[in-house]
Amino acid sequence: MKPIHTIAVGFDGSADSKVAVRWALSLALHYDAHVVVAHAVGLLGRFDAKTVAVELEKSLLELCDECGLEHARARLEIANGDACSVMLRMAEPPVNADLLIVGTRGQGAHAGLLLGSTSLELAEHSPVPLVIVPSA
Amino acid sequence: MLIINGSTDDTGHEDPGHPERPERLAAALAGVHDLHLGDDLLAVAPYAASRSELARVHESTYLDQLGTFCYEGGGDLDEDTYATYDSWSLAQHAAGAGLAVVKELRIRGEGVGFVAVRPPGHHALRDRAMGFCLLNNIAVAAAELTSLGEKVLIIDWDVHHGNGTQAIFWEDPNVLYVSTHQWPLFPGSGAPFEVGGLHALGTTVNLPLPPGATGDVLRRALEETAAPAIDEFKPTWVLVSAGFDAHRADPMADLALSSGDFALMARFAAGYAPAPGRLALFLEGGYDVTALRASVSATLGALLGGDEANEKPTSGGPGAELVSDTRETRQAALRIARDAGE
Repeated sequence: MKPIHTIAVGFDGSADSKVAVRWALSLALHYDAHVVVAHAVGLLGRFDAKTVAVELEKSLLELCDECGLEHARARLEIANGDACSVMLRMAEPPVNADLLIVGTRGQGAHAGLLLGSTSLELAEHSPVPLVIVPSA
Repeated sequence: MLIINGSTDDTGHEDPGHPERPERLAAALAGVHDLHLGDDLLAVAPYAASRSELARVHESTYLDQLGTFCYEGGGDLDEDTYATYDSWSLAQHAAGAGLAVVKELRIRGEGVGFVAVRPPGHHALRDRAMGFCLLNNIAVAAAELTSLGEKVLIIDWDVHHGNGTQAIFWEDPNVLYVSTHQWPLFPGSGAPFEVGGLHALGTTVNLPLPPGATGDVLRRALEETAAPAIDEFKPTWVLVSAGFDAHRADPMADLALSSGDFALMARFAAGYAPAPGRLALFLEGGYDVTALRASVSATLGALLGGDEANEKPTSGGPGAELVSDTRETRQAALRIARDAGE
């Protein structure tokens, strides 16, 4: 198995995505890995992107404390695009994530049951292993 | 002569408060009306694109799912994109409107086409709606033309990169996709090193521009980097993804163009149509309805030999120094890709 140095996890601040981030941070502790917490900014997201980024950063630090992971091992990445495209880019340079993690009903999961949620899209297209974390 | 699609009732595709709204189409059509074309304006009847016409650029599974989703009442497809009960029919007619306009141009062998429709299309992928877009209208028309043996240049001057169009024609050597767009911005694609797939190397040209960039920078990028690629490609048709959200008044982005800049870009595009009746523009973005109306009018007026735009072309914004970087990055990416393919 390829060593896990970098984990990327999708985060939109929702309760479901927090479950996924907790899981990613805990896994990073186990594997001594770094975590890139990716937040996708869509067309409409630009209007409140700065406010949201501040809130997500605060939330991430709290989750790090909760999981016992030093802050330097996790960073927030704000990226333009839809959730699926942003997560796929996390597996490419410069991030080069070895593992992608998403929640089941996080970013972009609006019509997931019918049209393929972010997690299902990623399962089809991800070049690296993918973990889909069910909501609590 | 300006050939446009006949009016479609687009009010069924609406989500209160959403910027992609019916007033946009009304503004675009008002921009056409402002030209007072009289007998030089021809409206062709729109029709719903057929399954086989759509399936050239979209996966059948996606078409089934989107239709079903709409008929069950619609909702949010992602964080940006909505669909309603009427959206499937309207999207089919938007794609069909492009086909109808192109067909009329082919029959007449003269005129300029303007496909004034919504929802827009250039973000729509083969298998997914995205960025307000359900079906990729310009891709459906381009695929029709390539099926007839044409070589199609698509110039996309919407402020957002047309990731859907790029992806659909990534491996198609008969479509040259040229995009100017703000960077960084949604959808995050459109880097200069994205140059096309192994079977179509060089047929994607991305010209990212920084926030605040003005028309002079954009024109320089087109002339220095896109023009040589277009000359080499030798298109037989020119289609334009004419988004007007790069206008300085638009709330969705930060470029600083004026309606006069769109007029100049229209002339640039028209310069590559090898004969009359081989140029059609497709409405994409544009969310400030006043700027949209003025920009549509200036763009089409320039193509029809009308008066100068009310707003003068802009200059002096940032990004001029990036133009040569973009060209060099593209050339390096092409060298690497060609070496890897040998």
